[in-house]
Amino acid sequence: MIFGILEIFRNEPFLLFIITLGVACSIGGIPPIIERNRRRGIENDLPAMLEALSDSLGAGLGLQQAMMAEADRNTGTLGKLLRETLADAHSSSFDAALANFATKSRSSQVQRVMHLMSTAIEQDAPLQNILADMSRDYERLNDLMNRRESDLMGRSILIIMFVSIGLPFLIAFIVGLFAPREQGFQLESFNSSFTLFFGAASFVAISVSGRMLGRMRSALWWAPLWMAVSMSIYHVGVFVIGG
Amino acid sequence: MRSLDESREVLYVIRTLDVLMGSGVGLEAAIHSISQGGYGIISKDFSNLMENINKGKPLERELRALLKKAETDGYKRVINTMLNNVTQNTDIIETLRKQGERMEESRTESVKEYIEELGGVPETLLSIGMIGPIILSILGIAPQLMEDAEELFGPMDQGMIMSIVNVGLMLTLLGMAMIGLKAHTKDPGL
Repeated sequence: MIFGILEIFRNEPFLLFIITLGVACSIGGIPPIIERNRRRGIENDLPAMLEALSDSLGAGLGLQQAMMAEADRNTGTLGKLLRETLADAHSSSFDAALANFATKSRSSQVQRVMHLMSTAIEQDAPLQNILADMSRDYERLNDLMNRRESDLMGRSILIIMFVSIGLPFLIAFIVGLFAPREQGFQLESFNSSFTLFFGAASFVAISVSGRMLGRMRSALWWAPLWMAVSMSIYHVGVFVIGG
Repeated sequence: MRSLDESREVLYVIRTLDVLMGSGVGLEAAIHSISQGGYGIISKDFSNLMENINKGKPLERELRALLKKAETDGYKRVINTMLNNVTQNTDIIETLRKQGERMEESRTESVKEYIEELGGVPETLLSIGMIGPIILSILGIAPQLMEDAEELFGPMDQGMIMSIVNVGLMLTLLGMAMIGLKAHTKDPGL
């Protein structure tokens, strides 16, 4: 039966192409996930860092000293980046080190904060208040982003599971049961239409669920794999259930 | 797309203007700082505005032109505040702070609304995405299933039925995409 299942893929060059593309793209889809986890880790630590810097400035420390204290305290990615920044600050200016820190973080939140901090230092603005305000702002922003993620994650997984797995399995079951291949039903064009439909429906499902979570581009890396899964489930399902 | 970009960036622009102007920078210099980049579409708008000012056009006229171009309420309000500052010398910092607070509240509300509105999307998507193909699959195999019932229902052409099924599948797909579009159009722009 396993050879029989493998044999049915031989006549489906498009499906084989999608499977190959899916495997290749899923490898491309891993770096965005790792990068996003790293970036969100930094962004979630950012409000606490700003608050600590504001407190230290209020206690009379300079910005560089406050950052040193924070780098010692923070054991996450942000702390590591801060330590590197302060090491760089010995060989270059503090302003250049801040810019370097923003670039290395690859986070728009950190880049904006560093830009504002540099501007505030240049303009001799009350840094303690600015840092405290920014800490509040970014804490609220991160809370909203985390809430969106946690509330919509389940729904987006539900969409993918139902459209890419549940639906092709259900239709394969109906077709296999009512029009089994072994009884001589001619369903080539029917199967080809439905196979393409499941591929396209999976693409729509991945796009929608990715957009719901606010990361459609990185979700699309996984689209070919889910399309291949969905199309294969239908093909194999019809073959197995239809005898 | 423009409105989404505006709503995403405007709060950061307000905060930056607040810091810059609160520490004594003038309005034109603050606009110049934002025009250097980092604030998406608003940086581009401010960059065009600065280009025109450097050509000798008055700031007031440029701000009025930008006001017409702006799509979101928040961005329009910011430009209006700038315009009032230029024409009537109003306290821009205080107004910007209040606007920032209001905008933050409305952003929180719009995220909550977004999450609530998307609550029904999976169910609707799955209803259309499942009912359509189930009906169409039964319709597609009907001519072969009911070969012996031609006297009762008349002859059924498999080719014609398949054309109907294909159109139905495309419409189902379109319906799914249209429902999914809600996730894009209602995005609060975080």
